[in-house]
This record gives sequence, C-alpha cells and structure tokens, in this order.
Amino acid sequence: MSDTSHNIEHTLHPLKKIEIIVKGKREHFVQDLLEKSGVSGYTIHRNVAGKGASGFHEGHLLFNDEASLVMFFAVSDQSKIQAIINGLSPLFESSSGVMFVSDTKVVRLTKFLSAEGQQDDGS
Amino acid sequence: MPTDLSALRARVENAAKVLGRCWPLQSYIAANPLAGLEKLPFDEAVAEGQALYGGRGYPSVAQLRAAWDAGAINANHLADRLEAYGFTESPAHLLDRMEAATPPSVNRSNDSLLNRVMAKWLAVFVDQGQATWTMPRRQEGFYAAWRAVAPYDTTLAHRDCLHDLPERPLEALAAALSDVEPSQWERVLRHHLTALPGWASFIKWRSQDRHDAWQAAHPITMTGYLAARLHTARAIGLPVAPDGVAEAAVGASRNGRDRPAMAAPWLEAWEATYREQLLHEVQAAAATMDTGAAPDRPKAQLVFCIDVRSEVIRRHVEQAGPYQTFGYAGFFGLPMQFQPYDSDNRITACPPIVDPKHRIQEVCGDHRPDAAAAHERWVALGRAWQRLIKSLKHNVAAAFGFVEGSGGLFGVAMAARTLIPGWLRTQHQAWAKRVPTSDTFCDLSLDRAPAADHADGLPVGLSAEERSYYAEAAFRLMGWQQFAPVVVFTGHGSETVNNPYASSLDCGACAGHPGGPNARILAAICNDPAVREVLSERGIVIPEDTVFLAAEHTTTTDAVRLFHPPTLTERQAKIVDQLRRDLHTARVQAAAERAPALQGARRSHAVADTARRAADWAETRPEWGLSGNAAFIMAPRALTAELSLDGRAFLHAYNWQTDDRGTALETIMTGPLVVGEWINMQYYFSTVDNAVYGSGSKITQNVVGNVGVWQGNGGDLMTGLPLQSLQVDDATPYHHPLRLLAVVYAPRARVSRVMERNAQLRSLFDHEWMALTVLDPEHSNRRYVYQPGGTWATPSTESRDDQDTEPALAL
Repeated sequence: MSDTSHNIEHTLHPLKKIEIIVKGKREHFVQDLLEKSGVSGYTIHRNVAGKGASGFHEGHLLFNDEASLVMFFAVSDQSKIQAIINGLSPLFESSSGVMFVSDTKVVRLTKFLSAEGQQDDGS
Repeated sequence: MPTDLSALRARVENAAKVLGRCWPLQSYIAANPLAGLEKLPFDEAVAEGQALYGGRGYPSVAQLRAAWDAGAINANHLADRLEAYGFTESPAHLLDRMEAATPPSVNRSNDSLLNRVMAKWLAVFVDQGQATWTMPRRQEGFYAAWRAVAPYDTTLAHRDCLHDLPERPLEALAAALSDVEPSQWERVLRHHLTALPGWASFIKWRSQDRHDAWQAAHPITMTGYLAARLHTARAIGLPVAPDGVAEAAVGASRNGRDRPAMAAPWLEAWEATYREQLLHEVQAAAATMDTGAAPDRPKAQLVFCIDVRSEVIRRHVEQAGPYQTFGYAGFFGLPMQFQPYDSDNRITACPPIVDPKHRIQEVCGDHRPDAAAAHERWVALGRAWQRLIKSLKHNVAAAFGFVEGSGGLFGVAMAARTLIPGWLRTQHQAWAKRVPTSDTFCDLSLDRAPAADHADGLPVGLSAEERSYYAEAAFRLMGWQQFAPVVVFTGHGSETVNNPYASSLDCGACAGHPGGPNARILAAICNDPAVREVLSERGIVIPEDTVFLAAEHTTTTDAVRLFHPPTLTERQAKIVDQLRRDLHTARVQAAAERAPALQGARRSHAVADTARRAADWAETRPEWGLSGNAAFIMAPRALTAELSLDGRAFLHAYNWQTDDRGTALETIMTGPLVVGEWINMQYYFSTVDNAVYGSGSKITQNVVGNVGVWQGNGGDLMTGLPLQSLQVDDATPYHHPLRLLAVVYAPRARVSRVMERNAQLRSLFDHEWMALTVLDPEHSNRRYVYQPGGTWATPSTESRDDQDTEPALAL
C-alpha cells in the first residue's frame, strides 16, 4: 500500500480563534451566546482548574459542579468572533472571566463557516 | 446577531446576577435568598438586600430582646462586640434606640398594577397541572404565548400598542428600551427584575435547569419575561425607566453609611455565645476521646444523612445497642435522577450544586410476580377513583349532582380527618400493608442500559467502573475502617399531609425528595461482588459476612423503615431482627426528646403525637424541620458521640488520619458544607424578615400553579419558609438566626490548603457568610479560628478554661 498523503499540499486558511474561561455558573450563558453567534461549533472543557484575580479554583470537585471553571474555544471568521466579543464584554464588567482572541489557520475552511446563528424562540 | 442585541443579552445576564434561584414546590431547595450578593461581605450584602427588596438583614429588635432576656446572648460577649463596634450605651438603651429607629420604607406603588398583571400571566403560564383550563400556545414559550393574549387584556389601558410587537423576545426588549440610554439598560432591567423577585428567581432557576420537563415543554427565559414586562408597562402608561432608577447602582446602598448596622454586634455576640459553648464541649470531648485500639466490631453500622435531625435519632440508636453511626450527604454521593416504578416522573435526587449524571430506573423484576400484580391492581384502582372524582367535580353538568349526592360522605370524611387523624392513619397503614411496595418486587437498573437512554442525554444505569467509584468515594469520605456484619444506608423523608412545603422537610441533599432510593442504590452497589473485588484491590476490604441494607428515616415520626433486604445469613437475620426492635426503642426515645419543643406534645404520648402530626390536615407544624441549625461538624463520630447537640448540628463523618492528601476534606467542604450554608442562610433570612425573605403565615397562603405559594390571591411568589416553620407563635421565636459555624477536626495546615485551592469556598468565610474553627489533633486539639483574609487566631481563653463566662472567641 502506498502512502500518497505527503504529496498533497494542504492550503491553510486564516481564521480567528477565541478562548473563553468563565465560572461554571456562566456556562449556560456563554454556550447560548456561541449558539446564537453563528459559529459552526465549539469545544467545552469543564472542571478546569486555574488561578485568576479571585484566587485559585480547583477543578474536578466531586460534589460541586458550580465552583470550578469552564473553558470554551471556537474558531470562525472575524465578524462572528467579533459578535461573541461584543456579547461577552458587558458580562466581564461585573463577572470574573477572561477571553483570548488569536489568529489561527485551518485546512477545511467550509467546516468553520457553514453555520447560521440560531434564532431566538418565543420563550 | 447585531452588536446591540448581543450586548443586551449580556445586560440581561448581568441584571439577573443579584437574584437568587427559587425552585418549585415539588423539589423545594433551601437556598440563600441573597445568593446573588454572596460576592459581597455579609454586612454590605444585607444592606444591598434592603435597598433592592426592602428586606431586613439582621435579627429584629424583638428577636434580639427575646434572645437577650432568655440568656442566649452572653453579657461579656456582647460587651466585647459593642466595644469593637464603638457603641458605648448600655444594652437596654441600645435596644430601645434600635426600636425607635424607623426602617426605611420601600415605595413600589407605581408598579403595583404592573406587578399584578405580570404575576397573573406568569402564574397561568408556568402552571404545572393545577389549572383545568390552561393558557393557549404555551409550547411556543412565555413571550410568544403572552404576545398572543396580552392585546386582549382589559386591565391595560393602552393595550392597542401591543398588537405589533416583534416576534422575537430580544428584539422586543430592545424596542422597549429604545428610549433608554444603553448605559442605563442594566439598571432599568434590574429594577424590573427585583420588582417581583420571587417570580424572577423562579424564572432564573427554570431557565437554567437543563433537565426540567416543564421547561422543555413550556420554555421561559429572563429575556422573554423582561420583554413582556416592559411592554406591559407601556400598555399601562408607565415609563419603562421610572424616575430615579437610572441612578440606582448596586453598591449605592453602601454610600453614606458611616456605621455598620446596630444589630451586627448583637448578632455576633449571640453567635459567639452558642459557638463558645459548643466548641468548649467539643474540645473537652476531644481531650478524652479514645484514639487508641480499634473498638469492638459493632453488630450494625447505620449511615444517616448529615441533616441536623439525624443527630437526635443517631444518639438514641447508639444508646439502644452495639451500633455505630456515620453522617454522609443524604444523596449518598450518587449524582442521579431516579425514575420510580410505574411513573414517568424523573426525580432529580442530588444537591442543587451537583448536575445529575445518571438515571436509575426502578423496573419490575421477575422474582415476585404475585406482588407486582397485586401492586398494579391496587394502584390502578386508586388512579381510577381519583380520575372519577376529578371528572365529576370538574364536569359542568355532573358537578351539581355530585355535590348533592356525595356531600354527606365527604362531610363525614372531613370530620374524621379533623377530629381523629391519628386513628385514620392507623387504619390507612393497616390497609396499605396489603399493597406490596415497589422495593419488594422491583429491581434497580444499575447496569448500563444504552437502549433505555432518552434523548435528553442522561445515561441509564452505571458502568462497572462508576459503581466502584461511588462506593469507594463513600467509604473514603467517611474514613471507614471496619465493617460490621450489617451496614444500613439510611435516607430520610418526612410524612405530612395538606402541606405545600412537604418537600422542604424531605432531604435537601436529594433536592427536596426522600433519600430512600439513593440509599437502596448504594446498598445494591455495595452488595455487588464485582464492586467488592475492585474495592478490595484498592485497599477497602469488605468482609464476606457483611451485607448492605437500605432504610428510610421518617423525620416527622422518627420511625426508621428497612427496605426489602437481600438474602441474609442466619446471623445477619438475627442482627436485623434485633435492629428493628432497637430502632423502635430509638424512635420512642427520640420522639420523647423532641416532644417538649412541639407545642401541645407530651413526652409520655410523644409517638402518638408525632403520628397525629403526620396525618393531621390542619397541622401547620408537622415537625420543626431544620430549625435551630447553627453548626456543621466534620469529625469522627467519637468526637461528638457523648454530646447532646440538640438537633442543631450537621454531622459529616471525617477521619483526618485516613486522608493524608486532604481530598476527602476538600470534597466535604466544597460540597456538603456549601449546601449546609445554603440551608442555614435560608433559615436565617426567613427568620429575620419573614415577609420579604420567608413566605409569611401558612394560614393566608395559596398554592399557585403547583409551583409555589403566594399570599392571598396574587402578587409575588414567596420564596422562603413559612412563619410556622420558624416561630412557635407570632411573638415567640423558635429558630435562632445564627450564621453557620463550620468545625473541622483536622490539622490546620490541611484545612488551609483546601481553602487556598478553592476561592469560592474561601470567599464565603472571608465575607462572613459562615465561620470556621479548626481543632488541630496534631497540636493538642488546639482551637484555630479562621479570620477573614486568611489568617488564623487562637482564642485567648484556651489557657483559662475555668473562666467560662469570659468571651473566648475573637469573631
């Protein structure tokens, strides 16, 4: 069997990546925001440990799912990431949490640009 | 999503931060009504609570005077605290001065019609089966359903403006705020959310709960509620942003406060008086505690919930025979939903800070088909009867004839329930014995069963690894060292009738449900040979002659019922027979101990009185629940076994010698202790201001939509405990509103490490929502008192224990 993959030149497409770390109780809000913003997908790391302005937060507490931190990351184009930034900035005025935005590159561009934002329902 | 709408969504989230969460009546969770303000120091948060809700944050003068007169506040502690706060007057003069000070009034009269209208629409929307005619289009969500009917609401003078509202709630909310500066949005939204804090807290809970079937069927969001409320204000002719609202920021109440609340030193002195006595006794017990040779193997070990009510029955069980008891969170460490046999209802049976991760179902086994058939028969008969009565009552044509024909029968039944409830209960129990209970013929779906999984994501059953994990966690957390032939996991529930607050008396760790199912599941796990093998490999060796049983403690009557046991050896059966008799003895003793505190109960007839309370539909106080709670002790039982703690202390088993890394302590302090703080704060605030943070008298309450209660026939949802759960009568308090004291028997350095790793836990102590004292066994049981900020103090009186009237704690 011959391996031909090394002969293929993959094209890398520039996109933006956002990483968000918030307290567990804000998970619902951030997830909702990502759904509505139109990013095609995102990743959630629950039970994240780490230290911030308010001190150290242990992850993986057996009997408390609200105290530890949650980390999200998503990749999309500039406009959708900007919508997320706009939706998060007011939150961080009064809640602890951080976000990082950086340049990244992906191979399968369509995978990251295919979605439309979810509309609100009537609730 | 446009930028403005994206930001508005965040403004709604920010505005709702000040709210706590309010659970429905079926799973009443005792929670801090000021949970949204816990990031502030206690003193500032209660001042903020006063500004937002008009609620008092410290005990009333009457409560302080009663405590002072009863000697519950030590004069030396009070003098010490008054001096620290800079008060120089005499206590009597200070009480008079406090009495004369008029509390600030909260004027929300401009909102009253708006509040009434919103409460009406919320009540009809969230109805959970109480209404015969339900609101149309509920499945589309609150805003959509409201938008369809509101233009026809004749109470709204300008209702025509509601005809062309945007379809989506966020856009509707933005439209309502179009005349308000974006920089003021958050304040305006907060004003509207705190106008009906009970309903808003309920929406907050429901919109965040991922597993609530009612939310899935009839969704409601904070945005939808606010959109409806702001447009309703327009339709009444009220400004969306009332005068003065734009200036009211969170924290504004602190400005200009040049001195702390006058009641603060009184509360601290009251707390110090209780704590000093408790710590004095615990420290004395620590000095004499036998830590040497392992004790004789007990005949049976019983694990109870940490609930303060367990303390009383545990003492009497231990006195009744060679038994050892433990305290463990009453959901027995199982983060799950439970689906009972023959029911579509899925009960979340774990604390509110834990997400359910599994679903366990009760399924009919094939070992007792006769019992299953008998159960089915009786249940079907009962349901058919209930359906018949309901349809006769609600059918327009049949209702008149039904009342005419059956009035006499119902009159006799009403008289019997009023005059001889105890006798009726006995008859009912005798009849109920014919109906086999589900535990006698059902199996629990412990094995993973992917085919039974539902679309909502919770896996049915537990993997082999998970079963071993939960069993190991239980024994590690409790510091278990040797196993008796019989081990009984004992959940708890209450028995009460005609009581909307029934679930507030059930197990808080099981989200306001009885803990029996959790106990049965953990017992079944521990009887699994595969689990025992894994535990043995991990150093927890369960002898072959040990069997695990499950039971449920009825806190109203103190009866402990053993569930259907697995096959027992002759020796185990003998022990269980004796245990049943001893549990009855313990029940008699515990009921007699509780009798004096229950009005009208006599010690000699205590069991009969508790049985009557459990069945009496006119009884406003079937039991005292967790009233009195004031301490949370994490220590081996040996430390507290000789003490009578008056049912005021949560007791969690903890053995510092088997927890070198502090993992068990961290789990206890970040889990059960935090839930204890929630419960304690619910009782505290419901007591210090029952009208605002409690729910007022049961006499004038009405159940609304099967989700909550309101006073009279409308208004805000009442979120706290009723007056009768806290006071003996209008003037005589029963619950002492004291903040929780956490006591840990462990090396101080280990406790410090836990605090350093858990900022959220530490903040509760730093902001004085509860207090912490460590008894350090590595330093001669020395007492260390945690100081806000992270330092430790050693009480100066430790070297002069004889001076027991001296203040001993620097709080």
